[in-house]
Amino acid sequence: MPTFRRLLGFVRPHRRELWGSLIFAWAAMGMTVLIPSLIGKAVTAIQDGDGDALLPIAGLIVGAAILRLGLTMVRRIVAGKVSLAVEFDLRQELYGHLQRLELGFFDHQQTGQLMSRATVDLQAIRFFLGYGLIFFSQSLLTVTLAGAVMFWINPWLALIGLAPAPLVVIAALRFTRVSRPAMQEVQQRVAELTAEAEETVTGIRVVKAFSREDHRYERFQAAVTRLFDQSLHSTRIQAFFQPLIGALPQIGTALVLLVGGHQVLAGSLDLGQFTAFYAYMLMLSSPLRTVGMALGMGQRAIAAGNRLFEVLDRDPEIVAPPGAPDLPAGEGRVELEGVGLTYGPDAPPALVDISLDVPPGARLGLVGGSGAGKTSLVALIARLYDPTSGAVRIDGSDLRSVTPDSIRHQVAYVSDDSFLFSDSIGANIAYARPDASPEAIERAATLAQADGFIRELPDGYDTVVGERGLTLSGGQRQRIAIARALLADPRILILDDATSSLDATTEQAIRDALDEVMRDRTTFVIGHRLSTLSLAETILLMDEGRIVDRGTHEELDSRSPAYRSLIVSGAEDDPLFVDDEIEVVR
Amino acid sequence: MNDRRRKILWVLGLLRPYRTRIFWMLLAVIASTASALAPPWLAGKAIDSGILADDATALTWIVIAFAFATAVNAVTSWLQTWLVGWVGIRVLQDLREQVFKHVQRMSIGFFTRNRPGTVISRMTNDIEALNQLISDGIVTLFANMLTLIGVVAILIALDVRLALITMSVLPLLVITSLLFRRFSAGAFRRTRERIAAITAHLQETLSGVRVVRAFGQEPQHVNRMTELNQLNRDANMSTVYLNATYFPATELLTAAGTAAILLFGGWQVIEGNIMVGVVVTFIGYLQLFFDPIQQLAQLYATYQQGMAALDKIFGLLDTEADIVDAPDAVDPGELQGRITFEDVSFSYDLEADADSLSDRWAIRHIDLEIPEGETVALVGSTGAGKSTLAKLVTRFHDPQEGRVLIDGRPLYGWQQRPLRRQMGIVPQEGFLFSGTIAENVAFGRPEATDEEIASAAAAVGADQFIDRLPDGIETEVGERGIQLSSGQRQLVAFARVILARPRVLILDEATSAVDTRTERTIENALERLLHGRTAIVIAHRLSTIRRADRIIVLDHGEIAETGSHDELIAADGLYARLYSAWVN
Repeated sequence: MPTFRRLLGFVRPHRRELWGSLIFAWAAMGMTVLIPSLIGKAVTAIQDGDGDALLPIAGLIVGAAILRLGLTMVRRIVAGKVSLAVEFDLRQELYGHLQRLELGFFDHQQTGQLMSRATVDLQAIRFFLGYGLIFFSQSLLTVTLAGAVMFWINPWLALIGLAPAPLVVIAALRFTRVSRPAMQEVQQRVAELTAEAEETVTGIRVVKAFSREDHRYERFQAAVTRLFDQSLHSTRIQAFFQPLIGALPQIGTALVLLVGGHQVLAGSLDLGQFTAFYAYMLMLSSPLRTVGMALGMGQRAIAAGNRLFEVLDRDPEIVAPPGAPDLPAGEGRVELEGVGLTYGPDAPPALVDISLDVPPGARLGLVGGSGAGKTSLVALIARLYDPTSGAVRIDGSDLRSVTPDSIRHQVAYVSDDSFLFSDSIGANIAYARPDASPEAIERAATLAQADGFIRELPDGYDTVVGERGLTLSGGQRQRIAIARALLADPRILILDDATSSLDATTEQAIRDALDEVMRDRTTFVIGHRLSTLSLAETILLMDEGRIVDRGTHEELDSRSPAYRSLIVSGAEDDPLFVDDEIEVVR
Repeated sequence: MNDRRRKILWVLGLLRPYRTRIFWMLLAVIASTASALAPPWLAGKAIDSGILADDATALTWIVIAFAFATAVNAVTSWLQTWLVGWVGIRVLQDLREQVFKHVQRMSIGFFTRNRPGTVISRMTNDIEALNQLISDGIVTLFANMLTLIGVVAILIALDVRLALITMSVLPLLVITSLLFRRFSAGAFRRTRERIAAITAHLQETLSGVRVVRAFGQEPQHVNRMTELNQLNRDANMSTVYLNATYFPATELLTAAGTAAILLFGGWQVIEGNIMVGVVVTFIGYLQLFFDPIQQLAQLYATYQQGMAALDKIFGLLDTEADIVDAPDAVDPGELQGRITFEDVSFSYDLEADADSLSDRWAIRHIDLEIPEGETVALVGSTGAGKSTLAKLVTRFHDPQEGRVLIDGRPLYGWQQRPLRRQMGIVPQEGFLFSGTIAENVAFGRPEATDEEIASAAAAVGADQFIDRLPDGIETEVGERGIQLSSGQRQLVAFARVILARPRVLILDEATSAVDTRTERTIENALERLLHGRTAIVIAHRLSTIRRADRIIVLDHGEIAETGSHDELIAADGLYARLYSAWVN
């Protein structure tokens, strides 16, 4: 129940509205319960041949209905507002929290899992808090009120008529519990089928190249059959429970008709009361179902809440102490002192006792096999991670003592995957400085050798790229990523394998541009091509998290066999021409 | 309109194979509708013929009939739900397979013109929307019409005047329902769009989290999310207002109907025209009367969505495959691998003709003879036409002018699939399918033995990394081979080609650098691949270019010069200029 209590906490800011909406709901239910007894009164009047009494009763029914209309409208609008406000708050809190969490958290999380928390789980909670609670209380109240009236009219008949009621609640609860996972599994298999179709469509050139259409068709067919089976399973559940839930209250009605009818014949019940009973039975079937379903919703909301709180309770690890200053201005000296880094309790150390002093304006190359610790080292400089031991300082300030934002505004990190957002190219370049002028954007693009191809695109700088836009080649993406970093005007620039898809000529041009832009600023370059490393004055050779050698390219090339084996030796292996064609033979 | 009829007939044609089941389904629908109509009538009868007639036996029998109707309804509803579900899902399955088959027949040009997402949604979302129409739509229409007709018939049979009074609320209900449908369709669509925008934004910031953190731009994204969140709230609020008006309004109409029945029916009873049970019956039927109308109003939206989806699916099914075998096409058997281009011109722009502007041609007037076993390197800057030339050899496209021949016979004269089976095509980025490494290597020759697969992997040096994997060659590579590095994917793609033993090799050399050891392995593997085969290589590295027997320099879609590296340097043409620019 602690989760339930915490979930209710999200309603607290809106508790006045919620109470208001509950009161309105109850009042509306009072009207609803009133109507069948009015019907009963009318039938008694008819039987007594009292035509004059009919008009006031009919008027009362319409009056009650109009009152109920007003109450229900207000109730629905207020409840809708509360529900949406809760959803809004939950999403803001979750998203804000995700943005505060450090990169290390995401290394261990699957995007899909986080997505489903932010969508499916959030929805489940919102439905329960916004609607479920109200439906539940409303339906429970209806059942209680109607039950009370029925008991007041005739306790025995009420007991008989309400006998199937617990069964309806149980069946509805069970239905909600069973059908939900079954439907989710259907969704899962739809996703699998989509993945299957996606793979064939994106890999169609390979399929056709090897003439394996039949094989792909068989696989697709298998996915379709799996979906078919699960959909049938889900249908079977529906086909079983829905008629059952519909029929159970009818049994109560039949019992009321039988026993009540005989009571009327025996003279212990009058016809009006009998009709009212009948009307109550008709009215009760849907609230009974709702009680069961709301209980199921509550269970789901609690499970979803548990998953959501798992994320919300995870404190961000990379934070500044309260009142921490921004990184003071400086020239860009980077110092690492006895730095060690381990990603997790079971992981081998990524960096071991690294000490390094990089003077302002230096250009440092990092070379090493995969897992040597190059990326880990530069990630520490942007404080994407905190060192497990030792300290990282920029211009004398320990990174843990200043605000992370101010560090990242001074350090531009270009990683090898050059991720672009679904936005215009201009906006992507201006990512770190959204207020940048078009001229500044174009200048950054020109320096990164991207201006030329951007101008040839259908909408130039306004061309939308990324997942939902135009697909660019790897080399084009890299150049935009570099432009984005240059426009940030950083004190320290990190190029982590950021030119791997560029040809030698383009790389040379970028190097010349950097000469101008990065004068008096510090640059780190990771790569294993000679042309890339020629950006650096000094090169560090890394292995298993340690710096094992340092020197110029010539020095390392002559003395270190390990270095020679890591560098793509012959210039002949450097790409001579690189296609910017968006459509390559695939 | 005629077109629409054709499409609807086609949908009905899909149902044909299941007509026996559909027959039973319709029976179940009729039975469940009829049994749902019985209880209110029986309740009225219980009052009139049982209670008021003072006949206890009749009362008992009527209640037994009531219980029986309930039981019949439960069983037939169960049957109905099951059969409707079965037929709908089954037709959906058939349709999916049909669309998938059709998609695979399309030429590569089709996939270049259409985004993958669009093609995929024809097999998923659109078919889902059509299912709504087929299973829900048809049954809703049938069952609700039946209910409506049944109720009206019973009411009229019971008392014409009271029936007319009851039905007087109908126009109001129909109008409110239609208005609601009209406004809510747009409102609900907006809520779906807004939540999709939120999901997309979330997805993007999660996959781009490194960039977000690296530039410290979290506030920007939080602001954007607040904006999207606000928009989502507004869109949902408008549906709240709509629902808050419509549903209570129909409740009011029900109550008003009840009041009218009691009032006029009551007077009729008092005047002795009808019995009191009839009034109770009318009240019982009121809800049964309202529900179908509300559902039928809903149906219109389902119909529109279904038809929109049907149009899209037809748009795909009506697209004929544009690269087909000639009627007299023959199986090539074992190819020798001699490739000839005879004055070939090609444009991606389908409407291009010989008189159109020259820059719309990807390649123009290409004459080329590649003898058996020769390795040719295609060289040129972006847009020179290298990949286009390669694609014409694999017949991913047909040229608008001229002919491409292999072993002296035009490509369209050979059967496509056996022809392609003898061509090894190695793309820049090794595309792998989910499955094990072994399955991927054997993709082109599924009948290969484990030994053959292992030796193909060893031949390209892929065994080095495979042996280090915990599951070896049985390691799952994940969707698109995501579990392997790009260099490793490249090697698996090489092994796949080696095992397929192609006679002709088309290779688009990868440009992005991988680590040195892999780079060397790839280089050696390339040597193995090219040996003894006709090969066309889109070359990016000097080492590869030098290895070729002949270099073909392309410029703006035309062959600028051909020859060996030394010859071309000596000729001091375009190649020499490119080379010297690079050397410096």
